Amino acid sequence: MAPDPNAREQSLRGWLEERFNLTEMFSLLTSFGLFPAELDARRPLREAVDEALSRPFPSYARWPRVLGILSMLLFVFLGLTGVMLAFYYQPTVSEGYASVTTIVRDVTFGSFVHQVHGWGARLLVLILMVRVWRFYFQGMYKGPREALWVVSTFLFLAAAGADFTGRLLPWDERGYWATIRGLEILAALPVVGPLFGFLVGGTNVDSLILIRFYFLHAAILPALILVLFYLNFSAVRRVGLSASPGESRAAAGVFKVHLYNMLILASLVFGFLVTLAIVLPSPFVRAADPFVTPPGVRPPWYLLAWYGFLESFPSLVPRWVRGLLLEAILAFCILLPFIDRSPGRAASERRRAILLGAVVLALWILFTWMGYRMEAAR
Amino acid sequence: MIPAAILLAAALAALAAKPVTQCTLCHPDVRVQFDRSRHRAEEVTCTACHGGDAEAIKVEAAHSGSFLGIPTRRDIPHLCSSCHSDVERMRGYNLPTDQYALYQTSRHGQLLAKGDEKVAVCTDCHGPHEILPPDDPRSSVYIRNIPKTCGRCHSDRARMSPYGLKDDPTADFAAGVHGKMLLEKGNLSAPDCTRCHGAHGATPPGVGDVDKICGQCHTTTRAYFLEGPHKEAMDRAGLPECASCHDHHKILPAEIGMLDTVCLKCHEKGSAQAKLSVEMKTLYSRASEEIDSARALVDRAAAIPLYVEDYRADLEQARTTLLESLPVTHSLDLPRVEDLTSQARTIAQRVQSELNGKLEGRKWRQVGLLVFWFYLLLTVVILLQFRRRALAEAARR
Repeated sequence: MAPDPNAREQSLRGWLEERFNLTEMFSLLTSFGLFPAELDARRPLREAVDEALSRPFPSYARWPRVLGILSMLLFVFLGLTGVMLAFYYQPTVSEGYASVTTIVRDVTFGSFVHQVHGWGARLLVLILMVRVWRFYFQGMYKGPREALWVVSTFLFLAAAGADFTGRLLPWDERGYWATIRGLEILAALPVVGPLFGFLVGGTNVDSLILIRFYFLHAAILPALILVLFYLNFSAVRRVGLSASPGESRAAAGVFKVHLYNMLILASLVFGFLVTLAIVLPSPFVRAADPFVTPPGVRPPWYLLAWYGFLESFPSLVPRWVRGLLLEAILAFCILLPFIDRSPGRAASERRRAILLGAVVLALWILFTWMGYRMEAAR
Repeated sequence: MIPAAILLAAALAALAAKPVTQCTLCHPDVRVQFDRSRHRAEEVTCTACHGGDAEAIKVEAAHSGSFLGIPTRRDIPHLCSSCHSDVERMRGYNLPTDQYALYQTSRHGQLLAKGDEKVAVCTDCHGPHEILPPDDPRSSVYIRNIPKTCGRCHSDRARMSPYGLKDDPTADFAAGVHGKMLLEKGNLSAPDCTRCHGAHGATPPGVGDVDKICGQCHTTTRAYFLEGPHKEAMDRAGLPECASCHDHHKILPAEIGMLDTVCLKCHEKGSAQAKLSVEMKTLYSRASEEIDSARALVDRAAAIPLYVEDYRADLEQARTTLLESLPVTHSLDLPRVEDLTSQARTIAQRVQSELNGKLEGRKWRQVGLLVFWFYLLLTVVILLQFRRRALAEAARR
């Protein structure tokens, strides 16, 4: 069916549609989970969107299956605020702290943007971690979602990496010493530690590591996270959202409703971030002084358990063995779908796996607490 | 053969270059000490002090003629002065030549003249052979070592009791503010013993001279003190001026809290003078507290962060003005003290009120947040409406 040229020319969209495939461009949003339904790229935009939105959508496409889209939304906010911060930030030892001071003190809304960025990062890491735990406890790593599981774990690791590299950038004493503690943990890991040391130039926190962290934080890791999000949503579209056993797969509406749900969610996430940034701003601490270690130096919270594990074990076990053990646990987590190949997803069929998960979660909390206490005791 | 001959010639040449002294053949231990001294570097020989023949190898020949042996303590000052009071000879080193004259006026020199050989002579402080210049930190007369050097005798109670000296000045000095500055913090501007007592002319300052001695460094304080009524009254009563309140070796820190105790040493509690001290202290403390709370407020604002650099500079100014009031208290002139303390207080209060205003202004952010939520919820309500319509539409199909 040939489009009517006269009708098309009437609007800017029509004019553009003649020259670009707007539908194909718009479907990029779908690729990154920001638009819920797939589009038929051969049809004009309006038509394709209308068609997609009127498709039935499954009843279970809601909480807690929104953690993925929630993290993508947070990532978008982080990207926007990050770009704003990058306009003023200078990644050098001499100017880094001063430029962040300028952002949070002198630039209009600079402090607000900075706080939103900080809270967004914390929430992103937290949500991606909760997501991995949920996948585990609900057996979501089983076929055909093995790839989704692997992508999700890497997403968490990449987000944690972006958070870790971002903490150093203000060059304040909290970020500086958290980085030193974190690098000590990484250095204790066999193979990964030396490899990381080779990439960022050792564990000396200096101007070189700052510029490398900045590049990782502002270019490499966001790109990696975007790729992982793409793979994530691609996998979700292929294998579909997971229905819990016994849950109805019947249609509960159309995708248009789902789109509104997502818009409401986005508004609330934005509101939540703004509220956190204004009500609970993180304090602005002193510039890093390599010769003065402030009290309470801890690695970031997601590394506390590793820290507690590495430091509190009896020295009987060599440090590298402990490091190797951590690496083994991590590898086990990533490769879990290929280790546990039992098909059942119902809780009754995987009592042992759930027990194991509960024990690991309890240990993780215990070691986090120990890692936290370690600095309080010093 | 030829290299051996060259070596021999070189060795002979080296020997010939040094002043020939055979004394150290028998006195090697003295040589070790002497070789480190300033005298050795300036090529002063053994015979300059001990006489005799430095070139002789036999003991009898060496210890003959002008030989003095170990100079008696009584002779040492005069012996040293034979070079050190010689203006021509000292000119090249730019050294003063009045030490011997000063020494003769000192307590040490006067007692020595009376035949008391237990008093300090040159070698007691400077050492006999290993004499180092006073700017060498290893020297016994380096500024930070002087309290210990003086204390070798003056902290020995058995030795000092015949002279009626009972306290331990070295320990007292170390416990006082001057001692802490010099010995603990290494502040070389702080005074050592000689700064007040003189070095070669060491003598305790007379009662009426204390303010002059302290005033060498504490010039403004002395000026205010001289303006006040204490100078005349203390001279009449025969009290040492500064030391009456601040003590002498164990110098008390010049803190406002002193006013609570030292005034009551002479003035009765409840007297007009005691009341004046309380008033001055109150003025100072009030301003000081005001500055402290302003500083805490500035720190709080800096952690947000707000721009506080100007306020910090203001508070520095306030602190300086307040510190100026401390020397002024020596004049006992209450209006002048009040003037300075109220200046300091006014600055601190202005900083507080301006910062409080700015911090108060930040509360509007919360109001802004409420407005934000109102519009956000409005958006959500509109979206819910659209959603309902979409649901209805889907149901119709």
